[in-house]
Amino acid sequence: MSDALVIFDKVQKKFGKFVAVKELSFEIYEGEFLAIMGPSGCGKTTTLRMLAGLEAPSFGEIHLKGKVMNDVPPHERDTPLVWQSLALFPFLSTRENVEFGLKMRGVGKAERKERALKWLDKVGILDFADREISTLSGGQKQRVALARSLVMEPQILLLDEPLSALDAHLVIRMQAVLTNLQRELGITFVYVTHSQSEAFAMADRVVIMDEGEIAQIGKPKDIYREPANQFVAEFVGRNNILSGTVASFERSTALISTSSGSFTVPTNSVQLTKGQNTSFVISADLVHISLEKPASINAVYCKLISEEFVGSMVTLFLEGAEGSRI
Amino acid sequence: MPISTGRSTKIYALTWRLPIIIWQFFFFVGPVLFMVAMSFFLVKNYRMTEAFEFINWYKMLTRGYFWDSYKYTILISMVSTVCAMGLAFPAAFALAFSASETTRRWAIFLLIIPFFTSYLVRTFSWFVILSEGGVVNAVLGHIGLGPYTMLNTHFGTLVGYMTLTLPLVLILQTVTMSNIDKTLIEAARNLGCKPLATIWQVIIPLSKTGLIIAGIFCFILSFGDFVAPFYLGGSQETTLPILILDTTKSGQQWPRAAVVAIMMMATLFAIAFTGIAIAYRKRKGA
Repeated sequence: MSDALVIFDKVQKKFGKFVAVKELSFEIYEGEFLAIMGPSGCGKTTTLRMLAGLEAPSFGEIHLKGKVMNDVPPHERDTPLVWQSLALFPFLSTRENVEFGLKMRGVGKAERKERALKWLDKVGILDFADREISTLSGGQKQRVALARSLVMEPQILLLDEPLSALDAHLVIRMQAVLTNLQRELGITFVYVTHSQSEAFAMADRVVIMDEGEIAQIGKPKDIYREPANQFVAEFVGRNNILSGTVASFERSTALISTSSGSFTVPTNSVQLTKGQNTSFVISADLVHISLEKPASINAVYCKLISEEFVGSMVTLFLEGAEGSRI
Repeated sequence: MPISTGRSTKIYALTWRLPIIIWQFFFFVGPVLFMVAMSFFLVKNYRMTEAFEFINWYKMLTRGYFWDSYKYTILISMVSTVCAMGLAFPAAFALAFSASETTRRWAIFLLIIPFFTSYLVRTFSWFVILSEGGVVNAVLGHIGLGPYTMLNTHFGTLVGYMTLTLPLVLILQTVTMSNIDKTLIEAARNLGCKPLATIWQVIIPLSKTGLIIAGIFCFILSFGDFVAPFYLGGSQETTLPILILDTTKSGQQWPRAAVVAIMMMATLFAIAFTGIAIAYRKRKGA
């Protein structure tokens, strides 16, 4: 978990005048499950495509296993990708799809078949080996795509929003399949997604991108508890963002006064000065709702406007005294 | 998906289909049936008389010149198809994968322009270019080559066939290949496929149906064409369409010409059916 398998060194990508990725520098460690997350158009897929060699960086270098990859064509890289559209070959059977990469590498027929069947078994669709791709369900196709990449036995597997086309219940099941596979194989997964729940549920580390730049890198828990800026906070934690000025600051706590009242906020490593404008987040899971009249500190008095119910979670829309919505 | 199968809907649909059915019956099925019947007629004193004799079939199918002509027509049509498909492929490939959407649209528009003028006119214009004192030989003469005889040769015939088929083949190939999902090509590259190998591994399998249909069109047009072998090939070798013409001219042998025509149609049907069956074949083990 310590060696850098991939290094992005000031990588930039321009499409004409449009800058898709701005000076990106980060490392991907061996054996980790890294998620790259961000809203659409943030450059996350471009980043992944550059790693696979499908786009060439305009500036900067990408290192893989200590080697500069910029001029290595995609077919000479060992970076199989699981596509958002799956990109299975419709003219080949399930097994032939899985064998494709091995065939291109010149692996003999018998070995090809054996390895393909082994991986089809691992992802749980051995029974469908001789079926046509068009006769498979979405979840089954997903597994074929996974087997087709994993059969190459790569050190790193790239995944581009592979679950976005599946039903909600299948997403949960495939998440378990993916995390189990990743732990069992010990290979690096780089997983691009716009879904916070997918990234946080599976990844060891998450890279959050915004407009071609890294907004924050860290463990899911750290990002959730300590978002680096307002963008990350809004992106991962939805609402509950309050702005105000620093009333007092001592080592690791600040008293921040906002239009909804005063709050004591743990600041950890962030340095603040008195009178500075700032904003902070209250994690939804730490909010207590009370019908009593609130205390003078760490509380907001508000009116319930509406609620949104999603399975185990309820989102409440409340209106504060001065009309702000939280 | 059938939305409604009510009786009135059926009648309504039939009303629209009826004119084309009637047209096809009178001007396609009718003449074909008449032609089949005619192949059994006799010609007496340069006049056709109704009969039911196998003499025409016997006379034509036992003659060496018929089979020579048959073999030559199939061969030159196949050469034409291979040439057209081969010449069009790199261009179609570039238009489908390298050209921008705008360039592709303009290219397809420009490829339709040849159809504005008669094929016969376009064929005659080749005389100016290919003749002994024509454009090509004049240019070659400057660098000390030639003159080459290009008219009244197999080459001339092929040039004519290309004039007829190349624009169509190129359009069909371009449209077919530009509809390929580009991620499949990227996926192949990602799995270790070399750039040129993607043509055999991915692009041809994905555009198989369209390519076969382009090939069938090219073969059918070349096989049935009279203009190219007659004017540019100078009837050096008799193709079946020229044989039909000759047969009708010599002694008003319409029934024997009908035999040739039926043989041609049977051949084309066989080739078209086989081609389409291959194009739409479901893979085994499905």
